[in-house]
Amino acid sequence: MAPERMDCLDRRILDIIQSGFPLAPRPYAEVGRQVGLTEAETLARVRRLKQMGVIRRIGASFNSRGLGWTSTLCAASVPEDKLEAFIKEVNRHPEVTHNYLRKHECNVWFTLIAENVERVEAILRSVEDATGIPVLNLPAEKLFKIKVDFNMAGA
Amino acid sequence: MDAPKFNENERMILGCAGDDLPDSPTPYADLAQACGVEENTALALLDRLKQSGVIRRFGATLRHQKAGYGHNAMVAWKIDDAGRRLEVGQTLADRPEISHCYLRARRPEWPYDLYTMIHGQSPGDCLKLARSLSEELGVPDFTILESVRELKKTSMTYFPRP
Repeated sequence: MAPERMDCLDRRILDIIQSGFPLAPRPYAEVGRQVGLTEAETLARVRRLKQMGVIRRIGASFNSRGLGWTSTLCAASVPEDKLEAFIKEVNRHPEVTHNYLRKHECNVWFTLIAENVERVEAILRSVEDATGIPVLNLPAEKLFKIKVDFNMAGA
Repeated sequence: MDAPKFNENERMILGCAGDDLPDSPTPYADLAQACGVEENTALALLDRLKQSGVIRRFGATLRHQKAGYGHNAMVAWKIDDAGRRLEVGQTLADRPEISHCYLRARRPEWPYDLYTMIHGQSPGDCLKLARSLSEELGVPDFTILESVRELKKTSMTYFPRP
């Protein structure tokens, strides 16, 4: 629904503010200068993109490793009749940030971020104890890429 | 990278900045006021952490379905030749359609090594790309994990919002 309601200025603004939201006292004035709009016009467009749900939030995304935290990807093969209870048990942990149902025998995939490895293991044990379903823990050995910007103007 | 230590004021600033900036033409002044610090203090901290990479990204997080990138699939690649894993991982990471690429611990019950998140604008894009990458890289063993439903998606709260 949303993409067709965005014009090319909206898309240019999104391309700028995804990773380059200015760290300056009047950020919308700076973005506006780059796309040829006033501060008020730019802020109004950003507000609208938020209301449309295209923008989830504007702020800092932290590097979990840079803060000394640890993250991992986990997976489980959950039978249909246990799915709802398993999802509820996994999602109740604030350390679980993303969770997807996927088309595979191994069907539930979630990411977990915690202050240390011990905490990760404690959460996974408690999920296994509560559900009786074994969880696969797949910690990263190397990160090649993490990029969450979407090219909007060229889209 | 050593984990940085933050004082009480800094934790408050980061708690606000890790959430959603105030809806205002002067978001940093408003944020600083809420935390009881000077605007310059808040801006200097955020700038320093962005430069050092502790803040990975500062800006708008999009809901990609609503941004027109509705289709994604995770693809797990099995590369028995351990000597090729780094090279293949780097080649996959260089593709613009791939947003995430990790090398992960292999498990006997799940013998895959590289994990990529592929995005496409139409159904079938992800499968088509995975097949052509498989051929191009000479990595025949891969499995596609198409997303059926988003069950949870949040940003981690590293610093509680004051």
